[in-house]
Amino acid sequence: MQQAASRPLMRKPKRNRTEFWMLLPSIVVLAAISIFPFFFMVYASFMDYSLDMDRPRFAGFGNWADTLTDTAFWQSWGRTLVYAGGGLLAQLVLGCAIALLLYHIPRFRNLFSTLFMLPLFVAPIVTGLLWRFLLDPTYGLYHWVLNTFGLDIQVLGDPSYAMFAVIMMDVWEWTPLITIIVLAGLQTVPEEPLEAADVDGANSWQKIRYILLPMVRRMIVVALLVRSMDILRYVDTIVITTEGGPADATKTIGYYLMQVAFRFQDIGGAASVGLTMLLASILMGRFFIKVLRSEEA
Amino acid sequence: MQHRQKLLHAVLYALMTLSLLWALVPILHMILSSMKTQVNMFEMPPRLFFTPTFDVYEEMFFGRGDFPQFLRNSLVVSVVTTALCLLLGVMGGFGLARGNFRWEKDVSFWVISTRMAPIPAVILPLYLIFSKLNLIGTTTGLVLAYTTFNLPFALWMMSTFFKDVPADLEEAAMIDGCSKFRAFWRVVVPAAAPGIVATAVLCLMFSWNDYLFASIFTGRGTQTVPIAASLLVSQSGIKWGQAMATGTVIIMPMLICGLLVRKYMVRGLSMGAVK
Repeated sequence: MQQAASRPLMRKPKRNRTEFWMLLPSIVVLAAISIFPFFFMVYASFMDYSLDMDRPRFAGFGNWADTLTDTAFWQSWGRTLVYAGGGLLAQLVLGCAIALLLYHIPRFRNLFSTLFMLPLFVAPIVTGLLWRFLLDPTYGLYHWVLNTFGLDIQVLGDPSYAMFAVIMMDVWEWTPLITIIVLAGLQTVPEEPLEAADVDGANSWQKIRYILLPMVRRMIVVALLVRSMDILRYVDTIVITTEGGPADATKTIGYYLMQVAFRFQDIGGAASVGLTMLLASILMGRFFIKVLRSEEA
Repeated sequence: MQHRQKLLHAVLYALMTLSLLWALVPILHMILSSMKTQVNMFEMPPRLFFTPTFDVYEEMFFGRGDFPQFLRNSLVVSVVTTALCLLLGVMGGFGLARGNFRWEKDVSFWVISTRMAPIPAVILPLYLIFSKLNLIGTTTGLVLAYTTFNLPFALWMMSTFFKDVPADLEEAAMIDGCSKFRAFWRVVVPAAAPGIVATAVLCLMFSWNDYLFASIFTGRGTQTVPIAASLLVSQSGIKWGQAMATGTVIIMPMLICGLLVRKYMVRGLSMGAVK
């Protein structure tokens, strides 16, 4: 180890030289398309920069001050919290419930879980378009269903329901992700503690509460982390259904960023918004790695 | 007791049916609507039995529109990106799995945060760089953009698959006189083949399904199918028949691919955390 510390790149130089050269091309490409753009964005956040401008001017902390004092920025983050929080909570509860359901049914488990995971493969843009069709006030199937129950609402056109609707779309598409991850965990739970619980006269609910759920805790955390990073990644469904509206009701931070950059053409400002988003996802990524490492050890 | 068990199962199956309806009705409604006439399509309650018509599809594929070109663009971009990321990712993933480098932790962390970076925050700097390099509106630009999330994904996934291949395997081959690279190619790669296929399918799916990158980085002639879907939405209304048919064309290949690698889906979607 003493000797290794003095080598700058590798711990066991002789054994690992080939591996190093095999990894290098990926590192170089990834650096070019991720690290370089990142620093470019940091640079842009300190410049007065717009799309039609040839030479950006230095702006100091101007963009940052503008962004951080803009109520629209904080409101967008607030909506993102509602969108992510509401969506994740619903997915978590439904996802675990359906995983437990699949775990407990004696037959057709594979068939049902396969059918249930189909929404995962639908492109988010198609999810948006499809749900827009389902909720359409004139032609929509789900609008018709709501109508027969006496609820005549234009779900996507009403500021008080639009957020709920875009959350439902995310829940529809991604609940299966939580379900299949948790189900995979449940299927590895050993028989013995369950049999022991049977002997002690525990009922199904007690077995779920005190044996099954604690044993799949790691899976649940993993699923939640993957989902929370992804919920920040995509804005496709919002772009195609509500365009952030009505009355900004569904303008999440990602949509806000796209608007500042490509509609208002304020690149410097958008760069500072983008960096706050990156910061959030990096913090979650850190946490993800930590969870993986801690459970491995 | 017997009786209660039966009742419980009946409740479970009823709840399961409800969950399946919730998941599948939208997809079925889309596919069925795409095969209905304009009149039948908007009937409520929807008609389950009808004479299917493929007029919309015929118009899309053989009409005057650009749909075949959109489809071709999608295919080219997805396949090229997947091939590129897999080539780099398979080699690099092995390096990451076996390398034992000093900064391995930092590389892993960097790889995963690149994969998970919010798309709007990635688009912005790439847009500036691509416009300087005249890559906006080109297939190359879009391939590079997709590489930003598919390369880290391939690297990460392949490293988890290679970690499952015992190191004894390549060491045995090396004792027999293979170089490390040859041992990797001849012994390790075949052992990890299912993982490679699964990773490839997921890379293909992530590229095929993307809308946001394509909406910024493509122009006339390089637009992909998700763009074709979004173009059907306009101020004057939405062409629902075409929209549902386009949606069906977008999801069908992915449903088939997804089901083919179903066994590895959990692993891929949990970034290798769940095996």
